[in-house]
Amino acid sequence: MSKPEVSSVHQALRKGFKTVESNQQVWRSVLAECDPLMVSLGNLAEQSRALSRIHIANTPLRHFPDLEERLGFKLSLATDTVLLRLHEKMSSLQSVRDAISNQVVLVVQLYEQNTDSLDVLTVTERSPITPSIADMLEWLQDAERHYRQQFLKRKTLLQMLRADNLSLLESAPNRWKSLESPSAEDGITDSLCKVSFFVDSE
Amino acid sequence: MTSANRKCSAVTGSARKIKDNVADWHNLMLRWEKLNEVGFCVAANIVNIKLSRNKQQQLVDESSSSSSSSSPPALELQDECSKLHDIVVKMVAIVTKMEHLMTSQRGIRELEEFQFGPEGRTSPLFHTWSTEQFESSSGFLWEAFSQELKLKQAVLQEVAHTTDPDLDMVFLSCWLHQPYTPPQTRQNLEALLLETGHRPL
Repeated sequence: MSKPEVSSVHQALRKGFKTVESNQQVWRSVLAECDPLMVSLGNLAEQSRALSRIHIANTPLRHFPDLEERLGFKLSLATDTVLLRLHEKMSSLQSVRDAISNQVVLVVQLYEQNTDSLDVLTVTERSPITPSIADMLEWLQDAERHYRQQFLKRKTLLQMLRADNLSLLESAPNRWKSLESPSAEDGITDSLCKVSFFVDSE
Repeated sequence: MTSANRKCSAVTGSARKIKDNVADWHNLMLRWEKLNEVGFCVAANIVNIKLSRNKQQQLVDESSSSSSSSSPPALELQDECSKLHDIVVKMVAIVTKMEHLMTSQRGIRELEEFQFGPEGRTSPLFHTWSTEQFESSSGFLWEAFSQELKLKQAVLQEVAHTTDPDLDMVFLSCWLHQPYTPPQTRQNLEALLLETGHRPL
């Protein structure tokens, strides 16, 4: 445990877990802010669908000039506004992903540079408060992959949405919800618990 | 206090009147928006009451029982309808005031034609706008809101009587999204506020 390489890798691991921990909170709060936006996106799609199903000429609103076009315009304007705000949220999610990815890449690089002096025994050695380097690297990479994939999936979903494609807009809230993967989130929280003594033991 | 503010606070005559009118436009549109929000909640209540009553009706039909106690929702519906009615009455008052603003603006333009000849005044009252531009701006705003008001009145008359859920939805989105006040109405107001110095340049 006294090798300088080990302590520098440990130091980088600590930093990596701290980054994951703080960014996990940010990620959750940004996603929570997306929920009401997704609800209003669904509502707007529902309104546009209702407008497309009725024939204004057969309703008491028949005397209003260009009502269908005007209401449709206002609805797509409102949809665009919601989409814009969702895209703004995506850039917050992207910065979370970047922060975690950058930190994890640094740890992995540091480990790879020192593989000569870190033999299997050292890498798998663990104590009651310090998990092995191999385990911790794996947990960090799992977390990194989770946020990278989550970001990509959500970004792709949002990029497919257009104010004029009703069926996609209607299904968006459900598909957004289906991207949640509580088990992966729990896994990250678990690993953060496992390293909590290690991170605090500076 | 900036020099522009000081200059404007001392304005008199036509400029004073126009500046006050613009402030009134701002306040009236603000009140309209508040009424619109309250009215939307009431209209949504009406639609929801109808929905739940329809469901009850279906249940009653299925069980084919004799006397249904439909009076509480009917009372509730009546209550909400009169609330919506009160809101529309207030909106009518707002649009009437808007019309006064528009005629007052027209009066100022006519007065200036009388004072300065058919070309109107040569130097602008504030920054760049001619008196005519104020008049056409007011006219544009008034037309938008009076058309919007007609739509609200139609929604008020029909929303409690329709059976088509899609039409209910369209009524609600008409009320909420106000199709006859396009984004230009807001820009128009901001332009008026900027020109008259209510908003700093």
